[in-house]
Amino acid sequence: MEAFMLSSRQLRRPAGNICRSCSRRLKLRATRSYSSTSTASTSTSQPDIYDVVCVGGGPAGLSLLAALKANPTTAGLRVALVEAQDLRKLRSWQPPPDRFSNRCSSLTPSSAKFLDRIGAWAHVDRARVQPYHEMQVWDGVSDARIEFDWALDQDAGRAPAGRKIAYMIENLNLTAGLLRRIDELGGVTSFEGAKVEDITFGGETDALDLREWPVVQLAGGKQLAARLLVGADGANSPVRTFAGIDSKGWDYERHGVVATLELEGHGWGGGDDSKIAYQRFLPTGPVAMLPMPGNYSTLVWSTTPANAALLKSLPAKDLVALVNAAFRLSPVDLQFMHTMSSGQEDEVSWRLQHTPVSAPQATPQPVIGVQDGTVASFPLKFRHADTYIGERVALVGDAAHTTHPLAGQGLNQGQGDVEALAGTIEYAVAHGQDLGARMSLEPYLARRYAANHVLMGVVDKLHKLYSVESGPLVPLRSLGLSAVNALAPVKGFFMRQAAGSGGKLF
Amino acid sequence: MPPRNGSRSLASSARLLRRPSPAQNTRIAATSLNKSFSTSTTRASPPPTSQPTDAAFTTVSPDEVSHFNALASSWWDPQGPSRILHLMNPLRHDFIRSCRASVLDDPPPPSTGLKYLDVGCGGGIFAESAARLPSTASVTAIDPSPEVLSVAKAHARRDPALAEKLSYANTSIEQLPLPQTPQETFDVVSVFEVIEHVSYPAEFLDRCTPFVKPGGWLVLSTIARTWTSWLTTNIMAEDVLRIVPRGTHDWRKYINEEEMRRHFLQKRTGWAEPRCMGVIYIPGFGWKEVSGSEKFGNYFFAVRRVAES
Ligand SMILES: Cc1cc2nc3c(=O)[nH]c(=O)nc-3n(C[C@H](O)[C@H](O)[C@H](O)COP(=O)(O)OP(=O)(O)OC[C@H]3O[C@@H](n4cnc5c(N)ncnc54)[C@H](O)[C@@H]3O)c2cc1C
Repeated sequence: MEAFMLSSRQLRRPAGNICRSCSRRLKLRATRSYSSTSTASTSTSQPDIYDVVCVGGGPAGLSLLAALKANPTTAGLRVALVEAQDLRKLRSWQPPPDRFSNRCSSLTPSSAKFLDRIGAWAHVDRARVQPYHEMQVWDGVSDARIEFDWALDQDAGRAPAGRKIAYMIENLNLTAGLLRRIDELGGVTSFEGAKVEDITFGGETDALDLREWPVVQLAGGKQLAARLLVGADGANSPVRTFAGIDSKGWDYERHGVVATLELEGHGWGGGDDSKIAYQRFLPTGPVAMLPMPGNYSTLVWSTTPANAALLKSLPAKDLVALVNAAFRLSPVDLQFMHTMSSGQEDEVSWRLQHTPVSAPQATPQPVIGVQDGTVASFPLKFRHADTYIGERVALVGDAAHTTHPLAGQGLNQGQGDVEALAGTIEYAVAHGQDLGARMSLEPYLARRYAANHVLMGVVDKLHKLYSVESGPLVPLRSLGLSAVNALAPVKGFFMRQAAGSGGKLF
Repeated sequence: MPPRNGSRSLASSARLLRRPSPAQNTRIAATSLNKSFSTSTTRASPPPTSQPTDAAFTTVSPDEVSHFNALASSWWDPQGPSRILHLMNPLRHDFIRSCRASVLDDPPPPSTGLKYLDVGCGGGIFAESAARLPSTASVTAIDPSPEVLSVAKAHARRDPALAEKLSYANTSIEQLPLPQTPQETFDVVSVFEVIEHVSYPAEFLDRCTPFVKPGGWLVLSTIARTWTSWLTTNIMAEDVLRIVPRGTHDWRKYINEEEMRRHFLQKRTGWAEPRCMGVIYIPGFGWKEVSGSEKFGNYFFAVRRVAES
């Protein structure tokens, strides 16, 4: 239970009528603070009044702002962005064409369609975006494969030729494009390099009662009163903490190791028009190689923290060898090589000679290099907020949920949230509802919570099913994979998720 | 009884929360009501000044007002008894918009700078929302209950966007000074969930109509008087589900859509282009427009004041 510190709430009354513009000049002498230790409650600076204050300028927050400003119904809203990082670097982001950031995401066609609808897709550097057309998913222990017979997928209703399962995109390419779109649309008051110091409640005058309005306190004394405070502020969301919304879950005791890889060729299809995404379930977690333009790929290897530490410490040639091994050698061999502090390259090349080769397309083309400075890791967590809404608060993206990257859904879930929230806000504005009132936000919760919950549940269960090396679960698991094959609805779920039409589930 | 009827009972009960009244009183009132509504003769509107205009004459039932005061505090509780009204509110705007869009005037009527008069505004659910629309210039909202109006005013203070456009007056329509010039009339005069609770609906409407600008709309919502509505509101909502206190409904006060139409088009002059939309509340889903449902359940009705040539 948060302690509320109440101090004197007298406010200087402005002369005459309080209109929207002069109320912005209202001097709040005191505010109610959500943190009992806050000193901001005696601040004398003025809160500016906004319809939407979005904390967080990551993919979720920027999409929301672009969506609101691109829609004629919501374009007139007074909107502010608060982002702790300096966005100037993002504005001038223009890396060499043969270097790729290690933070890439798989964007489903429905996310891409949404980004197109809000005018952001055109601002993305398309030369750096790589669609993929095929998926190879298999179990490292039993070697059972999920057969994605896309051509037979009547539900998807698409011709197999030219079918794009998803687009691989650098997070920075997406956020830079979104930022360009926002700058083009204009009308967003942006506080960049501005960290949220505290979030309090507003005060009261005879004419105005802002005691239920969140007031964002920035370093330097700036105060932003929010009709709706949006938490797009990532997994450790300060907005979520302010709203008293609990986020439950667990840590996977796994880290995601990412890197930009250089392959022997442009993929088995010979070009960017026919690329394959690979994912192999190892007992320590899935390892995925996702195609980027040309002969580049991005690695997402979920493994134990100790293995992750080793991978990050290896010289490039040994890391390359281990990555190649991860898609080819048995889990036992692989685990052995994680006990070596060096010399993986020779070990792998020797062992590969003794490993039966499957059809070339079944495994990714050999990796020949890793780009400098792209090897990094992050802890994997499962978190789901108890709710996404409160009075004058809404959570989107990682602030609302964090999931295992094995299904590549983290960013897409955030885009789905944003699309639903922007739609909910549009409806509220068009019908004169107070867009921050909990009741106005209910449709957002209804549209997203169950959908995210089901998806996250499936992803979590998959991780657990495949993260066991031996014992009764292994035959079960291979059975499980066959079952995935046999069970049209489950496979359909995956294929629809991959196609970004997972909403059809409901 | 099919589940649909159960859901309609909720719809009706929500409406009744606006103006519940003790049974005995409504029974008496209802008798006079039906008489007054069905037997009044054709006359032009606005009514001549010879109509009772003294302050003592009122269509407001004191019992309705005092009974309602008790509910005032829960008006803005999204989980409270008014939830169903909150959920209905967006449809009011959809309906008004569709009415205004349905006329093919040349030049088209202005789509901004609209003036609203909300009669029987209650806690201000509609009035606040109308004031927030960018197309709105002003909303005047009146209600005879001081408690309810103080709830409305206190709530409006929570939104800095409202002060400029929204003004409340604690008055009945009878006591509101009649407009003296066309500038004082309104593009939209709204009477939501009120008509079935006033003692003399024909007279009450005659009080409202002079406030409508020529070319403007009188918009109301109420419930049809049918066996279904009798079952759902009087039996289901009160006796079976007990959503509202017993005796708060008087089914005989309900007015059917055909009666409303006849009142404006045959018994009064200067009105045209009646519009209607039937709505049904489906629990867990919300309000839905269901064409034809105006014949037996909740409905919106609008009629346009003929523009003076
Ligand atoms: C290190 C790391 C690597 C990842 N790698 C991958 C990957 O390879 N593939 C993949 O699919 N997903 C990856 N993810 C997950 C993916 O990045 C997220 O799902 C996605 O970025 C979520 O977007 P978001 O906008 O919700 O949150 P974020 O991208 O986390 O954005 C939150 C923003 O809020 C700002 N912020 C936070 N607190 C404050 C504050 N107090 N004041 C002001 N601003 C604040 C932050 O600066 C940040 O810009 C990774 C996540 C992390 C942390």
